[in-house]
Amino acid sequence: MPKKKANNRPEIESKTGSTISRRSVLKIGAAAGAVGVLAPNMLTSKEALGFQTIAEPVTCANGQPSPPHHPFVDEFTAPFPCDDHPLNPQPTEFPNLGAGEADRAPHPRWTQFAPAHFTYDMSAQAGLHTFHSDFSPTYIWGFNGKYPAPTLFGRYGKSGIVRFRNNLPTTTTTFGRNEMTIHLHNGHHGSESDGFAGDFFGTGFWKDNLYPNVYAGIDAFGGNPGIDGVGDPREKMGSFWFHDHRAEFTLNNNVLGMNGMYIVYDSTDPGHEVPSANSLQLPGYYGITDFPLILVDHRFCATANGRTELVNAAGGDKFIVNGKIQPKMTVRRRKYRFRILNTGPTQTYDLTLIKPDGSVGTITVIATDANFLEHPISIDAGANAANSNSTTTPIVPGGLRVSVAERYDIIIDFAQFSAGSKLYLKENRTMFVGNPSPDPLPPGLNIGNVLMQFNVVNREPWFPADTPPIPSTLCTYPTLPATDNSWEWQFVLVGGRFRVKRPFDTVGCTFDPDHSAHCMLQGTTEEWLINNNIASGWVHPVHIHFEEFRTLKRFVNGVLVAELGNPDLPMFPLMSGRKDVTRMEAGQGALIKMQFRDYSGRYLIHCHNMAHEDNFMMVRWDICPDQASLDACIADQQVCELEMKAKESFREEVA
Amino acid sequence: MDRRELLTRVFEPHPASPGTTRYTNAVLRNQNNEAVKFYDDLIRGKQCVVNFMYAECHGSCPAVTQTLKTIYRELKDRMGKDLFFYSITTKPEDDTPAALKHYAETRNADLPGWYFLTGDPYDIKTIRFRLFGMDHPGFDDDLTLHSSYLRIINDARNSWGMAQAFASNRNILKRIAWQDPPKSYGERVVEARARQVLIEQEVKKYGYRRDVMS
Repeated sequence: MPKKKANNRPEIESKTGSTISRRSVLKIGAAAGAVGVLAPNMLTSKEALGFQTIAEPVTCANGQPSPPHHPFVDEFTAPFPCDDHPLNPQPTEFPNLGAGEADRAPHPRWTQFAPAHFTYDMSAQAGLHTFHSDFSPTYIWGFNGKYPAPTLFGRYGKSGIVRFRNNLPTTTTTFGRNEMTIHLHNGHHGSESDGFAGDFFGTGFWKDNLYPNVYAGIDAFGGNPGIDGVGDPREKMGSFWFHDHRAEFTLNNNVLGMNGMYIVYDSTDPGHEVPSANSLQLPGYYGITDFPLILVDHRFCATANGRTELVNAAGGDKFIVNGKIQPKMTVRRRKYRFRILNTGPTQTYDLTLIKPDGSVGTITVIATDANFLEHPISIDAGANAANSNSTTTPIVPGGLRVSVAERYDIIIDFAQFSAGSKLYLKENRTMFVGNPSPDPLPPGLNIGNVLMQFNVVNREPWFPADTPPIPSTLCTYPTLPATDNSWEWQFVLVGGRFRVKRPFDTVGCTFDPDHSAHCMLQGTTEEWLINNNIASGWVHPVHIHFEEFRTLKRFVNGVLVAELGNPDLPMFPLMSGRKDVTRMEAGQGALIKMQFRDYSGRYLIHCHNMAHEDNFMMVRWDICPDQASLDACIADQQVCELEMKAKESFREEVA
Repeated sequence: MDRRELLTRVFEPHPASPGTTRYTNAVLRNQNNEAVKFYDDLIRGKQCVVNFMYAECHGSCPAVTQTLKTIYRELKDRMGKDLFFYSITTKPEDDTPAALKHYAETRNADLPGWYFLTGDPYDIKTIRFRLFGMDHPGFDDDLTLHSSYLRIINDARNSWGMAQAFASNRNILKRIAWQDPPKSYGERVVEARARQVLIEQEVKKYGYRRDVMS
């Protein structure tokens, strides 16, 4: 079928035609593994701009197990750091429609945060990634064509602008949708840069997201910026991630690879280990002693065109760590920091560190969802078993339970192990391997449960020396202000579909990008009761955009089981910190407290199980800048409910 | 898309459409007692909204039919040309084409581009599982659970979405529009410019972008 090309668009269309055979693409992908490497006689203007011609995948049969692989072949590496890149044309407060920017609201606080100190250019495009050396390349959608996406870096006090370009194929045979809206999880910034699920834009457009990299509380703490800029430094966050948030297609696009890490440093956590003012001196050299650990599960199938393609499945039978299946990592006898991120799309991980003798090793959690804990929490199967998991009694002793979108920064001290010992990161579920382990495994460990292998070696003289012991106090949390309003969200299953329901809703509105389900005034503080009141066994990792919250109370089947500051019912250790995802297992409830400062706009609360959020388990709420705006929002808030009620009453009349 | 293009349109499926392997090509009968193949005649290369109902239903089915009628009025220029509604009975044993004709006529829903379909019970159940299956017997076997859901399919772009019939009509229309045939870059630029004007008016009025959506 010949392809129509509009004349007025920039040359960014990925060619899915046939000027280049699949076989040659495969060769290039396998031999070079690099984007933009093509034989010179094939270079057209498009390809000269760096857009590789990658054949769309052929459809893959579901239901078959993935091909077998050999464990511990590939190296565990950190995703490549993204280069700061000048933007042309210059970013503007109002969208630069003439140059191809998608429509959006003007950037708020533009005069305060422009020009940006960091600018990044991220192009979402098709690419090939090899998930395992035994596999042929896999078609993915990645930022700059890569999976995992290049890691973005920011620093508090230095604003950043990321230009997200939609260079996805205009027609695709994948299960993805070539429209995108990129959410930074969980940045404190304007709604136009928040990746609202209804604000997606199509191929050929780009959009600038302004990430001011400020602590929350700009208005209250804006007068005297320190070395880390404005805002309340107690609101510090570190491990962010960005991902596509296209309504109805979040799972599909994320399975194809549209997510990555965004790490923000400040003076307490400066990204290096050299003693400096305020520095906690945690392991901090990115890619050397400080690694993202991005988890995802996939199902693969070998297809007729010689590639290994992703299958559109909600749960996979291969667990992938930083883009590789069962990688190995050489670690020196010192402390390492891992920023664990579960990109899902749906499954929860229970991670344990397995020592050479088969027992459970100690991991020290320093941050929950990008926020430092006030005091680090050690987890193991012995004295610290009570710290593991985080909602109820440990299900896996010594295990760290990570649901979708949760991040846990952990420190593992390999100095306690002798050179030559091998440790394993274990997941409670089992994957399909198909080959035995090349190394004898510790007793009781099944190769199907191993996520990755650590090989301990002595530290070479050139390798950074160990950092000092982890400080016993990492930060101090601000005192929570008085509550202005209370609200309740129920995560329910109605009519076989997932919903977020307000107590007064009959059924609960579907995700309606046009109508807010809840409105509040900018600068207020609210307590939200989040309830997972189905006893069906479903887990809902509930994510709230915009600001971090504190968990005040946890309930199981309506009974209070933990309360912040209550010595009789202490809060679960891993829930005691600031978070932005709260895991709601069946029948559980949480009372959280959150502030809505500095910005107004549309934000979301949703279940981060991506299959659930795509199926209506997502709701929009608005922060209004003034009373008039709030009144208008509240008047509009009832629209969905009234219309639903009208339809319900029609149903009753007929009945 | 102008009128001429609509009328002379050839329905081309997307190259990656799962075709009959997902949708089946079961032979169904519409309210006019015409035999239609589910994929070849109804889905292939088209955009459509599918729901399940049955004629003697006194609960949500008439309400959903009423909603679809309202939606139909908004979309009438496209109905029967590149957009179709299919209401499939969950009780094919009871619902003959004549019964469905009666149901449609009494509700003024016997309209061009809107088919009420019956067929072999096994085929109907297969289609229901393929379109609304949750891989969970507790939901999939309960007929009442998908009565209020609309499956929106666009085979020409191989995408599908879903809407809830009890949501606002605006929301349903939006979700149908999300599966519309892809527009050219030029068309989307024009739309973006129009939206930008509204966004800026809205930011002035409410202090933030409130109602304007992609």
